[in-house]
Order: sequence, then structure tokens, then C-alpha cells
Amino acid sequence: MLAVLVSIVSLGIVAQQCQAIVIYTGWERHALVGSDIRLSCSFFSWRWTSEEVTFSWTYRPDGSRDSISIFHYTGGEAYLDNKGPFKDRLEFVGNPGRRDGSILIKNLDFNDNGTFTCDAKNPPDIVGRPSSVRLLVFEKVPIQAGVITGAIIGVVLGLLVLVVVIYYLMRFLVARRVFSLNVSKHGKKKKEGSQQRQGPAPPADPSKVKAAASEKKKQESRKDKK
Amino acid sequence: MLFLIGIFILHISAIVLLLVATIDNAWWVTDTMRTDVWGRWLKINGVWNLTDLPTGTDYPQDYLHAVQATAVLACIFSFIAAFVFLAQLFTLPKGQRFTITGAFQLLACVFIMIAASIYTNRFHVKESQGSYGHSYILAWIAFGLSFVSSITYFVLRKKSA
Repeated sequence: MLAVLVSIVSLGIVAQQCQAIVIYTGWERHALVGSDIRLSCSFFSWRWTSEEVTFSWTYRPDGSRDSISIFHYTGGEAYLDNKGPFKDRLEFVGNPGRRDGSILIKNLDFNDNGTFTCDAKNPPDIVGRPSSVRLLVFEKVPIQAGVITGAIIGVVLGLLVLVVVIYYLMRFLVARRVFSLNVSKHGKKKKEGSQQRQGPAPPADPSKVKAAASEKKKQESRKDKK
Repeated sequence: MLFLIGIFILHISAIVLLLVATIDNAWWVTDTMRTDVWGRWLKINGVWNLTDLPTGTDYPQDYLHAVQATAVLACIFSFIAAFVFLAQLFTLPKGQRFTITGAFQLLACVFIMIAASIYTNRFHVKESQGSYGHSYILAWIAFGLSFVSSITYFVLRKKSA
């Protein structure tokens, strides 16, 4: 039994050694001029995270076809851009041991609009497709069309639901208070009310009286519906 | 029984008119332009193209959002009123009025009135070309129908089913 399990698991591992490394970044990031943005990059690999894991980020400005390398992490050391457009503005905020290769870009400018590509390698798992995230820098963060409309609709519907809930809550609370006050009167009235009812005679215990009274009320409303 | 069916048909027709008014793009039409609360269709070289609504002082964005939201809410409330009517038909004790249904339908009526009124007051005030399209007219007719419908629900008493 154990041998079968071990063989299945090892077969699975061998089969998946053919799988590639999968790299995850965002799809698009929006930021305000002058603010900082964290570009996240993480990967999935069937292998354990090796000591020689590498991360590299390249940048391609909007409208240009060339990309330049701006960040590289290898051999336990992070190497930041010291000559290019991100000189003194980059910071490595990732945790390679946790498969996180995120970088922080400070003091954004309109010239930073472009595509950032993250490539991660986890030797011996090196076959993979780099993933890109598009950065858009705005003067004022735009609200997408329809957000305000949707918000108004949501608020009104939420108020409606709140009103309904409060109404039923009040009804429930008032009914309970009425029961606890008029318990004995209720019991006598219901006994004389109809001959078809088959409820038990109200006992002296007040909690049981409440339960019996609510039972009778349910039977009454059921008869009304018929 | 016939009366109930008639009331229900009135309600359904109010819902249909509300939906057409909200969805169909004919609040303001000219020969080459059709517009509603969501977008604007322009006839360029014989082909209709969908464009965004203009932004500017003639087209206040907040009032536009208000019209959009209240029109959609009117449709939603009318829908809810239809379902509540069906529910109350089976659960209401004899002799009672359909107040909750009437309340929802009245809310729908008020909301579409708000939407159409804001549109009349704030948009296309200075434009000389064009006229109100069928969606706008249907919005006002839906207001009338839903008002009549809600009054009927407030007055109607449930007889034995």
C-alpha cells in the first residue's frame, strides 16, 4: 500500500519536472505622479527554492522597442540600476527565500510610463515565460466610468435591505415582549377559541407557555392562509 | 380574477417601459446623433459609431450619474414590486391591502420621475437642434403607469384566493 502511494507520488514529481516555472506579476498598475509604487513579482515552481534563484527586471518605455535591464538579483545579492532612468530610485523589497522578487520605484514621473518585465529563474527549473506589468502614471487617479452610478445604486439597495431587516427585527422583538407580558391571557383565549385545535394544555412553566403560545399562533396563521 | 390579471399586466407593462427607457438609446435625437444616459451614437459617413458622452459644463457629470442611478433603481424596484406582489398574493390574509407592493411601485415611480426631471432640467437646455426621443417619452409614460399601478395596490383589498 505504502509502496503504491510512494510510486504514484514519485511518478507525479517526475511527470511535473517537465512543467515550466510560472511567473506572476500584475497586469496593469496605476499610480500618481510623485508617489511610490511596488511592482510585485513571484513565481511558482515544482522545485524547492534553490540558493541560486535569480530575479531580473527590465523596462521598456511606452512607444519604444528597446528594453533595458534595471534590476538583477543573483547569488544572494541585489544589483540595482545605477546608470539608467531609475538611478537612486529603485529599492529591492522582495524576499527571494519566499519567492518574492518585488521592487519599489520611488518618486514616479510621467517618463516612467511603460512595461516592466520580470524574469525569474529557479535552477534547475529555468524554462519559463517572463511576465510583464504595465505602469500608468496619472496626475489624478481617474474613477472608472460607472463606479459612481454603481455606488449610488448599491447604497440605495443597501438601505432598503437595512430597513427590511430592522422592520423584521422590531416585529420579532415586540412580539416577544408582548408574549412575556400577556402570557396567561393568551393561554385562556386560545383554549376557548376553537375546538379543532390540538395543542397541549398550557403548563405552569413560563418558557413552555411561550413555546406553546407561539405554536398556537403558527397554527392560527396556517388556518388563515387556507 | 380578471381584475388581478389586469393589474398584473399593467405592472408588467410598466416594467417593460422602464427597461426600454433605460436601455434604448433615444433620449435625445437629431438626424445624425442619438443619445441616452449611457452613450452617444454618431452617424459618421453613413455608419453609426458609439462614442462617449461629452464632458463639460453643458453636460454635468454628477447629474448624469444621478440620472443613470435613479433610472436603473426604478427598474430594480419595479422588478422587486412584481415579485413581492406574487408573494403577497399567496401570503396576505384576507381583506388586507397590498401595501408593500404599492410602496415599491411608488418608489419606482418616484425614481423614474427624478431621472426624467433631472434630464429635462439639466441636459440639452441650450441645444437648438434635435428633439426628445422615444425612450424619454416612454420614461414619462412609465412614470404614469407605475403611479396608477401603485395607487391600485394601495387601494386593492385581497379577496379569498
